[in-house]
Amino acid sequence: MLEKINQNTKTKQSWTKRFDAKNKRTESVKDLVEGMVIPTERIVEVMEKLIQSGDRVVLEGNNQKQASFLSAALAQTNPKELFNLHMIMSSISRPEHLDLFERGTAKKLDFAYAGPQSLRMSQMLEDKQLEMGEIHTYIELYGRLFVDLIPSVALVAADKADRYGNLYTGPNTEETPTLVEAAAFSDGIVIVQVNELTDDLPRVDIPGSWIDYIVVADRPYELEPLFTRDPRHITDIQILQAMMIIRGIYEKHNVQSLNHGIGYNTAAIELLLPTYGESLGLKGKICKHWTLNPHPTLIPAIESGWVESIHCFGGEVGMEKYVAARRDVFFTGRDGSLRSNRTLSQLAGQYAVDLFVGSSLQIDQDGNSSTVTRGRLSGYGGAPNMGHNPGGRRHSTPAWLNMMTSDEPLVRGRKLVVQVVETFQTGNKPVFVESLDAIDVKNDSELAVAPVMIYGEDVTHVVTEEGIAYLYKTDDMEKRREAIAAIAGVTPVGLKHDPKKTEELRKEGLVAFPEDLGIRRSDAKRSLLAAKNVEEIVEWSDGLYEPPAKFRSW
Amino acid sequence: MKLAFLFPGQGSQMPGLLSELPESEATRKVLDSATESLNENIFNFHSPDALRSTTAVQISLLSAGVAAFKAFESEGVKPDFVAGHSVGAFSAAVAAGVLEFGEAVKIVKIRGELMESAYPTGYGMGVVLGMDSYNVQSIIDQHFDKEYPVFIANQNGPDQLTISGAISAIQKVLIETRRNGARRAELLNVSTPSHCQLLLPVAEKLAEALQQVKIYPPSIPYAGNRNARILSNPFDIRQDLAESVSSPVKWHDASTVLYEKGVRLFIEMPPGAVLSRLAAKAFPDARVLSVAENGFDDCQFIAKREKLK
Repeated sequence: MLEKINQNTKTKQSWTKRFDAKNKRTESVKDLVEGMVIPTERIVEVMEKLIQSGDRVVLEGNNQKQASFLSAALAQTNPKELFNLHMIMSSISRPEHLDLFERGTAKKLDFAYAGPQSLRMSQMLEDKQLEMGEIHTYIELYGRLFVDLIPSVALVAADKADRYGNLYTGPNTEETPTLVEAAAFSDGIVIVQVNELTDDLPRVDIPGSWIDYIVVADRPYELEPLFTRDPRHITDIQILQAMMIIRGIYEKHNVQSLNHGIGYNTAAIELLLPTYGESLGLKGKICKHWTLNPHPTLIPAIESGWVESIHCFGGEVGMEKYVAARRDVFFTGRDGSLRSNRTLSQLAGQYAVDLFVGSSLQIDQDGNSSTVTRGRLSGYGGAPNMGHNPGGRRHSTPAWLNMMTSDEPLVRGRKLVVQVVETFQTGNKPVFVESLDAIDVKNDSELAVAPVMIYGEDVTHVVTEEGIAYLYKTDDMEKRREAIAAIAGVTPVGLKHDPKKTEELRKEGLVAFPEDLGIRRSDAKRSLLAAKNVEEIVEWSDGLYEPPAKFRSW
Repeated sequence: MKLAFLFPGQGSQMPGLLSELPESEATRKVLDSATESLNENIFNFHSPDALRSTTAVQISLLSAGVAAFKAFESEGVKPDFVAGHSVGAFSAAVAAGVLEFGEAVKIVKIRGELMESAYPTGYGMGVVLGMDSYNVQSIIDQHFDKEYPVFIANQNGPDQLTISGAISAIQKVLIETRRNGARRAELLNVSTPSHCQLLLPVAEKLAEALQQVKIYPPSIPYAGNRNARILSNPFDIRQDLAESVSSPVKWHDASTVLYEKGVRLFIEMPPGAVLSRLAAKAFPDARVLSVAENGFDDCQFIAKREKLK
């Protein structure tokens, strides 16, 4: 009897459901494809068979590289046949990403960033055209691909493929290997758009056994030059802030490894290293190791011998030849071109660097910061991954240890998380505010938590044109607020500050003004920049940097 | 690259505006058809004297917008999206094929007359620059008086708003916004408190009039005034046309939706360049032109070239 029951259960149970379903789907398109290759003009038809309603589909699209051919094709599938997809995307960037939801092709969304579509995101959520999963940081979203958001289909982009499905993703490898791995090793279907099919790959970034189908796109995948900052737009105030950061943070705490945001103020730091930094004798002592995209503004520092290594999240349009010619500094393949990896670089930026510095649109009296605007839903991207103190860190570095403020037996160091802002944004909007718009956005859009980019508890330093607040030294909330208010200028937060307390804060070392750091405000001039425009960056690069047309003015 | 046509509303008019339109057979046809619908020469409506009446202004703007659109159409230039500000929305609806032009002329005439007679004295509009809508709204909330109501009317940019209501209340709000940091806050030379609930009776009558008119599905997606959504259902567009007169025009959001939908070339139909200046400020990486400032020939040349990309 017992034997019989066992037999029954055994025959009923299948452990290959995903595998069987995949085989059935691939079988259904075998007459439409040529081996692994989907003919370009058949992509919509094939997608309608390979993808099924309700599938979890991970679609490659981040703030730089987009699987634009596949996203456009998915938006052309018949929503009567293929509907209710659950999309997983690091970035909602292209119009058709949200068109999928308007058409009913997709229903639910888990994502990390939606800056370029933030108004439509907010409207569609309000209109209930879109069911919100969660809003993540990049690392969290990648993590969930291996836990509870395992994809049935991955739609990704590569530069080149051979007929065995081996891929060359080159400088813009970015998140492709992560997305492919999650689908390929869970019997999902991996479809790759390529710019070119060739027998001669420069190198293999992703092996063909991870790939199911290749399709040659009608045009190269979309790629945005997002990390190029023209030094022409850097202001004297940003140069003053950069001097304070180099002196009052990098030098003071012996910062050796770091990540920069993409603002003009951090571009100014990069361009001051070979001039101001050099004059302080800091070369070889600070800023040696970076997790950073190949910022063109870092070229003068690299050329002057400041930089030992850079690991990149992604590539940057125009930097390909320069990077290939500086392979001691960048991670490159045998072919010489950059190998980026968004997942690993985010992880490195989270755990392995001393410092993160970035900007923000709003900071409250406790140091919480947010980049949201009311009526817009933009998400997080990667900044919170880098902009926090990871509790799991155990290795020490001089800067990390330098953040210790007590001698208790279990004391440990901290990551340096620096916020650099001017007290007012353009349009006369104060950056320091009594309450973050993020709280209104949470209520308006019924989010689980207020979309705070960097929490005040993680911030160690705030820098404005007035000075630096050394928040890591404050031992209670009252002091912390005073230190922030002391550098908040004539914003609502700054106006509440009693100027008499400022002297005390300076004496205690909780606040430093430029003069406390030996910086004369009048020295903060554009003439300090190692390159004052894109043309000079090209000169520094020996002509290897090839800026996109929109940055060429000569 | 996607192309949107923008149709201006009241405030963009100038005397003689119908004589500034692109020379073309298509333009002449539109103006003739306006004359026919009105039973009066359309050129009587754009003189300095005539333009003192909001009805004449609205009819002239509608005719100019549609005439220019037809001129582009006859050159083979068709936009991917249309949007119009206030009465400009009627031009956009005609361009999208939702309303026939002759019918639109009659409806806009009714709209103008209803607006003109709604509040003969004591009401109007003001403009506030350099303050966002949440701050302006909180000032309005602090000073609101049922007897002398005031509302946010148009949101033309993140910090460019108009307010509508009783003149005395508008003046109070203008003083407070200036005191709280607005860059500019002043009364407009307008006697109708447009785009707020004071005009609900006008919206209702307009809805009735629109019920009598045949409508068609849009052949070009249309961005609505009231909720800043892309509308493709003709009934939604009709409702937008009727109710926008009593609701705030969310122009900044409507044009942002076009941008997010992929529009990188905006061309403003004549007269004026109010909307193109707003778009140029809001979307620095988009190409923004106006027939009034760039000329019809350049606009259609660039539109054709960009469409090929």
